[in-house]
Amino acid sequence: MNHNEFDVIIIGGGITGAGTQRDCAMRGLRTLLIERSDIATGATGRNHGLLHSGARYAVNDPESAEECIKENMILRRIASHCVEETDGLFITLPEDDLGYQQTFVEACRKAGIRAEIIDPDLARRLEPSVNPDLIGAVRVPDGSVDPFRLCAANMLDAKLHGGQVRLHTEVTGFIREGDTIRGVHTRNRTTGEEADYYAPVTVNACGIWGQHIAELAGVRIGMYPAKGALLVFAHRVNNRVINRCRKPSNADILVPGDTVCIIGTTSTRIPFEECDHVAVTPDEVTLLITEGAKMAPALSSTRILRAYAGVRPLVSADNDPTGRNISRGIVCLDHEIRDGLKGFVTITGGKLMTYRLMAEIATDTVCRKLQVNKTCQTADTPLPGSEERSYEAVAQKIWETPSMAQKAAAARLGTRASSIQTHDRLDEALICECEEVSVGEVNAAIERLDASTLTDLRRRTRIGMGTCQGEFCACRAAGLLAKAHGCVEKERDDLANFLQERWKGNFPIGWGDTLREAEYTQWVYKHVLGL
Amino acid sequence: MKFHTVIIGGGLAGLVSGISLQKAGKSTAIISNGQNALHFFSGSFETLEEVPQRMVDLLEEAGIRTHYQPGVRLMPLGTFRPAALSLEDISLFPTPRFGKKVLIVTFRGYHDFFSSFLAEGLEKQGMTCRIHPLDLPQLEWLEQSPSEMRSVQIARTMDRIWEVVVQEVRILLKDEDTVVLPQVFGLQDTSVPGRIRQGIPAQVVFAGTLPPSVPGIRTQMLLKRRYELLGGTYLMGDEATTAHVHDGVVHSIVTKNLDSHFLEADHFILASGGFFSKGLKSNPFRIHEPVFGLDVEQAPDRNDWYHPEFMSDQPYLSYGVKTDAGLHPLQAGAPMKNLYAVGSILGGTRPEMGSAAGLAIRSALTAVDQILNQPNA
Amino acid sequence: MKLQEYTESKHNFEECMKCTVCTAYCPVLQVNPRYPGPKQAGPDGERLRLKDPFFFHYALKYCMNCKRCEVACPSDVKVADLIQAARIKYDRSKPKLRDRILASTDFMGSLARPFAPVVNGVTGLGVTKTLLDATLKIDRNRTFPKYSGRSFERWLSRREKEQAAFPEQVSYFHGCYVNYNFPQLGKDLVKVLNALGVGVRLLDKEKCCGIAMITNGMTEQATRHAQHNVAVIGKAVAEGRKVVTTSSSCTLTIREEYPNLLGVDNAAVRDSLMIATRFVFEKLERGATLRFRPDFHKKVAYHTPCHMEKLGWGVFSEKILRMIPGVEFTLLDSNCCGIAGTYGFKKENYAASQAIGAPLFDQIRTINPDVVACDCETCKWQIEMSTGYAVANPISILAEALE
Repeated sequence: MNHNEFDVIIIGGGITGAGTQRDCAMRGLRTLLIERSDIATGATGRNHGLLHSGARYAVNDPESAEECIKENMILRRIASHCVEETDGLFITLPEDDLGYQQTFVEACRKAGIRAEIIDPDLARRLEPSVNPDLIGAVRVPDGSVDPFRLCAANMLDAKLHGGQVRLHTEVTGFIREGDTIRGVHTRNRTTGEEADYYAPVTVNACGIWGQHIAELAGVRIGMYPAKGALLVFAHRVNNRVINRCRKPSNADILVPGDTVCIIGTTSTRIPFEECDHVAVTPDEVTLLITEGAKMAPALSSTRILRAYAGVRPLVSADNDPTGRNISRGIVCLDHEIRDGLKGFVTITGGKLMTYRLMAEIATDTVCRKLQVNKTCQTADTPLPGSEERSYEAVAQKIWETPSMAQKAAAARLGTRASSIQTHDRLDEALICECEEVSVGEVNAAIERLDASTLTDLRRRTRIGMGTCQGEFCACRAAGLLAKAHGCVEKERDDLANFLQERWKGNFPIGWGDTLREAEYTQWVYKHVLGL
Repeated sequence: MKFHTVIIGGGLAGLVSGISLQKAGKSTAIISNGQNALHFFSGSFETLEEVPQRMVDLLEEAGIRTHYQPGVRLMPLGTFRPAALSLEDISLFPTPRFGKKVLIVTFRGYHDFFSSFLAEGLEKQGMTCRIHPLDLPQLEWLEQSPSEMRSVQIARTMDRIWEVVVQEVRILLKDEDTVVLPQVFGLQDTSVPGRIRQGIPAQVVFAGTLPPSVPGIRTQMLLKRRYELLGGTYLMGDEATTAHVHDGVVHSIVTKNLDSHFLEADHFILASGGFFSKGLKSNPFRIHEPVFGLDVEQAPDRNDWYHPEFMSDQPYLSYGVKTDAGLHPLQAGAPMKNLYAVGSILGGTRPEMGSAAGLAIRSALTAVDQILNQPNA
Repeated sequence: MKLQEYTESKHNFEECMKCTVCTAYCPVLQVNPRYPGPKQAGPDGERLRLKDPFFFHYALKYCMNCKRCEVACPSDVKVADLIQAARIKYDRSKPKLRDRILASTDFMGSLARPFAPVVNGVTGLGVTKTLLDATLKIDRNRTFPKYSGRSFERWLSRREKEQAAFPEQVSYFHGCYVNYNFPQLGKDLVKVLNALGVGVRLLDKEKCCGIAMITNGMTEQATRHAQHNVAVIGKAVAEGRKVVTTSSSCTLTIREEYPNLLGVDNAAVRDSLMIATRFVFEKLERGATLRFRPDFHKKVAYHTPCHMEKLGWGVFSEKILRMIPGVEFTLLDSNCCGIAGTYGFKKENYAASQAIGAPLFDQIRTINPDVVACDCETCKWQIEMSTGYAVANPISILAEALE
């Protein structure tokens, strides 16, 4: 068999693609995943990172709610190092209708979501940052999930099961024989190298960009790009997810994740051309702060780290201009049945929370087409890194008295933290001091997690995600990348791109300490280092 | 407490003002809200062709060795920038091609010095480079800490063991005509960079590191020492909070530490810096000057404060307090009579003042001249 | 308030620009690589600790709370407060017997004082030092401060009437050191203030300010002391008196640590409490005069204690000393002496403590003054032990220069 022939090609390195590759690989298929950029660059990495209990959908979309709570429980088991079991509150503010609470709780119960009405006093004690004026609170099993980690872990497991991954590689066209897709033409966007890959089935898991891929294959899917804007605050204001107990609306979820917390989101229909460069508008920033401060008043005086936006891959069902009423339901299209095009499957819709289920549905379809009779194992097998339930246990097991950076590494990588090379004390030196990322962890990400740029490294290690937004760690890490790849000139551009990418998220909220930091960073790189 | 002049801001502009006034026999106090931007100093004072002799003398009297030679200097990431008056550590060249064969020396496990970037930059200029990381037992203690293999800590050790580096480099040198070393020499002992140059039989070029900058800290230390020797009062870690002003005349300053004990003076100099130093503060609605509420040049719409390209000229960096021709800042359109704004708080719209360091020194000297030339001075 | 008009977090840790200036000025980092440094232990670590107390690291105990990081910080981050607050909040290890003994300065003082000659003799003995070193890990090289046979409180209470006769009164927070170890400083203060026409009174039974309890993990005791002291100082303030001090560390503790670390509200008394040199300076500024000995001559080198730097009041001591006729004044470079209260007494810190102080000791030897002036008793022990030069509080020097 040829090295460029596979059983299934998956296009898209978001969580759906990575999950599908893992599932296919675990069922014994030879898989190839192609991603034009890096892992989790689309909607996967551009949301709250909320481990939905499903409560948010319980009233309007009971089907999604049920999917969510099931997957929520599964992810706690299989992805412990990506998940924080924070718990969540749905709060009613004086301006909200307390009557909605009853409807909400009943809907939750129907969907199988444990929802417990608690005294506002207890809510204030459980979550001291919550607006003290609240008049009602419901406790639900929300949590937070790190989408980058989740995506990387799925892909890594696929690789451990023989899968192959081509990042920074674009699908330029399909190899089509009559009514059958036989493979794809690709081009590496870094090297310009072109290559063809063959497989009896190709899965389109490109989120909103799936419409374009489908067009390349000659079929049409009506996608609906809805932009959602979010703000990252510089530290954790809350330790439990806070939601508004009302009909889903703008900026009504505040999620604590890792060292920050995130408020979102909005929903605005945007033209397709804008999907590749969505920007957060001043109006969105104002709306997010105003609404956010209603849930946790501290947000009105907490430093904002950055603003970002993602595009939801909704499949249009009606002409609702807000997009709120569209089901986030999973859509799996077997184009042979739908359009008469053989060897091509699209998996879309859904959400981060239900990626595993989407992957299972897609993989079932692939297996049916390949006449492979294997059952799905992904709900029971922990992802690599998640073999232990807690990072405390991981850290203590690997290092008797873990340092701050080792504790942080255990929290990021789970049991995979043991793969960080520490044969030399110098590998423990810190590259990123805000998020405590060591030389060893950066090198491990370069060697084992296919990180080729600083932005790739950020998604895998959190370098540059902290308060200084890459001021110091960027050039240190650039040194390591230059060494690993042996190309300084490329790294110089990479450094400039990375700083540009950070700035893009900084200037929409460029005031106060964020502007101070920007002045400092610009001074250091321009006048001190001479970039 | 009463002084002739109270200076808000203890960076380059504040210290130059204070030293000049003390030298003229005037009593001054400097309020310094922590350490300052000299800690991130590149080492080059001036890019302009013309350098006032007073500037050079003032630095020399403080024990700061400089040299003047318009040309280019090597930057830490291997690029070149124009420079003229610089610290003696900084080598100035007529053209970027300053050698043929270069030995770049770094330390094992030191990530704040960019040897591979330097090598690539020099190779672009037609030089051949060899990088050698030194493995010195004297630096082993720093390896124990994950965050301390950094320039300042290395420099502390180097003050004691710089001769070891000279010996090692002499052994390493083959046919190289130039040695590039990180700027980690002479933190306390200012003679070290010169002695290293004498000890190594090749051209020695010191290249910068990630901040804090060792030559910058040394410069700050020497200026402050000079100021205190002249009898100046340096209030480190204090912050000017408000001022008592009547009819455009400042009477006294209130500080965080001295609270009800006001600092009175005949003249006041505002050298409190830009955004980083909090001379200017910003919120979503406006950019403002926090002590006096001075008029600040700015675009009314926040969206115009930024350029979306990180490396482009950022409009916000050009904003500063508005002044009349005599550097008296304006408050509600009217100039403050005995207040002078100097240094980065003036913003980046005064190219005639030169670089940031040039602006600091030139504007400080201008303000001092005006204070001293007044009939009642 | 408009949204985002101001952004400030507790101890301002988000104003940290990661510039690392604090690490360049941390005296501990220069000698102890096991300490993560002020930036890592403070603002960086805080973000992780907010996520999970698991990220608290025991090495924070190496911070000696000198506050030099805060003085150096260009962003106004309360770095040392962050570190000490984290220790209070997250450190579950119990203070050792040794630490409890060292921290309980007033309790130990009241026990030891009546037996001063015996105690002083015993703690000075080589065998005792060896024993303390081996059993309690108190370094054998340390000299214990001597206990005075008669407490300052007793001395002053006998002069109550005489002091009450002055037209103006202040209360004096003398601290443990003056009371048990060195009443002479208190007597010097009384002499100086009397010369200014001010009578000195005791507070209504002050307690140890608690600084050593805070750094040694005895938060509850420290809080009780804080509440008590704020109450008794408040009483004096309510009666219209200022409260003066002669120890920079006690002053900083009462002014800053009470509200910032212990959550004890001192707003009612904060501005009425001041170090004696500031009080004297302000008196003189308002026209009071002192008569000096014509024959006084001393070469004085002033060391600004770390906590005095944090208070920002070194300038008052400096101005007072400069003003004394016959004083040849030198301001020593800003350096830490290395003792940091009980820190330097601990065997595990002794070497670090001496290394931190070395630049200061060297400078003192070069200048070769008649006396080193300094407003902190622990700096005094350290400098005297390490250099052999005599150290005196500026108030004592002033008292000596008075006619």
